[in-house]
Amino acid sequence: MIRVEDICVTLGRFSLDRISLSVGRGECAVLLGPTGTGKTVLLETIAGIHRPKSGRILINGEDVTRARPSGRGLGVVYQDYALFPHMTVFKNIGYGLKMRGLSTAKIAGRVKDMAKFMEISRLLERRPGRLSGGEQQRVALARAIVTNPNALLLDEPLSALDKATRSRLRLELKKIHEKLGITILHITHDLTDAFFLADRMAVMENGKILQADTPENMLASPASRTVARLVGIDNLIEGSITNPGLETGIGIIRIPEANSMPAGARAWAGIPDWAVHLLPSDHKKAYLWTAEMRIAQINFTGSMIRVRLANENGGTLQTCLSRREAAILPLSLEPGSSVSVGIHETGVSFFLS
Amino acid sequence: MNRFSLVTGAAGALLLLFVAIPVIRMIFAADPAILAKTMVEPGVMASIFLTLKCAFFATMFSAFFGIPLAFILARWNFFGKSILSGLIDLPVMIPHTAAGIALLMVFGKRFFIGKAFAHAGIGFVGTEAGISLAMAFVSLPFLVNSARDGFSAIDPRLERVAETLGASAALTFFTISLPLAFRPILSGLIMMWARGISEFGAVIILAYHPMTAPVLVWERFTSFGLAYARPVAVILILICLVIFSILRFIGKQQRGA
Repeated sequence: MIRVEDICVTLGRFSLDRISLSVGRGECAVLLGPTGTGKTVLLETIAGIHRPKSGRILINGEDVTRARPSGRGLGVVYQDYALFPHMTVFKNIGYGLKMRGLSTAKIAGRVKDMAKFMEISRLLERRPGRLSGGEQQRVALARAIVTNPNALLLDEPLSALDKATRSRLRLELKKIHEKLGITILHITHDLTDAFFLADRMAVMENGKILQADTPENMLASPASRTVARLVGIDNLIEGSITNPGLETGIGIIRIPEANSMPAGARAWAGIPDWAVHLLPSDHKKAYLWTAEMRIAQINFTGSMIRVRLANENGGTLQTCLSRREAAILPLSLEPGSSVSVGIHETGVSFFLS
Repeated sequence: MNRFSLVTGAAGALLLLFVAIPVIRMIFAADPAILAKTMVEPGVMASIFLTLKCAFFATMFSAFFGIPLAFILARWNFFGKSILSGLIDLPVMIPHTAAGIALLMVFGKRFFIGKAFAHAGIGFVGTEAGISLAMAFVSLPFLVNSARDGFSAIDPRLERVAETLGASAALTFFTISLPLAFRPILSGLIMMWARGISEFGAVIILAYHPMTAPVLVWERFTSFGLAYARPVAVILILICLVIFSILRFIGKQQRGA
């Protein structure tokens, strides 16, 4: 278990401001945030690389704020894996065990078992420079896990991989977590990685944690516009609270009764692209808003199609649909053509400006 | 081959000729008979051996203190770091005779440091220790700068990972930083030794005797003329060429390993 309490860190002009974070035993927590926001500094502070000005770091209940990195029992995997280039894969994996004073025979046994578990037995005599990105990632994970650490700290370990390898290893990382039940703090700026792996999620920007919750709650009720943007809610529409709902540039969006807001206040509607339906079904009650819009732009991204919709007042919405969904739609997606659009209540959040 | 490659190639070739022609001319101008006679002169070989030995000790002594200093300069940020780096480079810039005088003023018997060493039985004027000291002073920048560049080129995250895996700071240095900076350090050691061997100005101030090869060459040139100085210089060049070729070859082998 990792517990960070009110940590402040200053590194040159960069600072982390009163960061608090908790990762439960066996949990995979994902710290999500844009590049340069201080995620790596926080991870390295937990690992003991940087010393905080104030606050506490507890690992399994023990205060390790002043402990050296070697005394924290944490495994770290960096984005580019940081494998020791002058050592073979065997020596890389066995390094931590050697530092703990294990006998050569015990090191060999544990390295071989770990290599088998990570399916890298054939690579043991190779140098890291001769491995593919995916292989290097497995070796780095093996090196971090073999010492039975209290927790794993992963600094964007998937970001240097090609798309196919990344998808495969994302799945394997999840399997490893489920098999070993190890506590993981994973930092990333990638939404797919975050939502795929996270039991809990924290969103960070400019050295501060903005919100920490489960991925579902984060999507359902983002604490602010920034959080909504960072968790990938594409449509953020500001308006005024009126009696029937939120008055915006695309019209009045009905606010469900559960979201009571003071009349006249300025508020945002956070609408994920998957809540924007083309040709809404007949269950009109499930829709917070429906109208005719013009298809302004269509972009193809692999198996997905992103569609930008606009109305005559300049209001816009974005939606995305799979090619299968597009194929069964009873209309052809053409820029300029008019289409009936609805905002489904599922996943839509409202929060004050 | 394009025009740019031709121009750069020609410029490089001219510079190589500038270095190679005087050396080749000197080697081939030497009378083989005088060369053979000089080689068996006990004074000449002793002087060359003394030069190699003193430069070696100067290099080892400097490595012991200079490699940790290079690591600090590469890894730590502190007030006055650029002044310290400038101080390291200073021996390259000042005239070496001036360096010799400065050393004499500190390690001579009139200053407390020199007195303290003399008290411990270590003298620097007219001794092998003095020769090594002068060589170390003037050639130290070659080692420290090369080692510092070597340490700077290592991704600090490698050292951080080693520490998280349980290595102490010292073990991280010896198992990660030092092996990864081995090539630049070896290169710096070779350069420092070479520079120490060729040192004349600082050495002659501290120790005219025992006579190192550069002092012997100068002494023969001023006393007997070019014909007697040249064979000693040629022998020194040939010996150094063989030694440094071997060291570079070893360095290359390490690179390939």
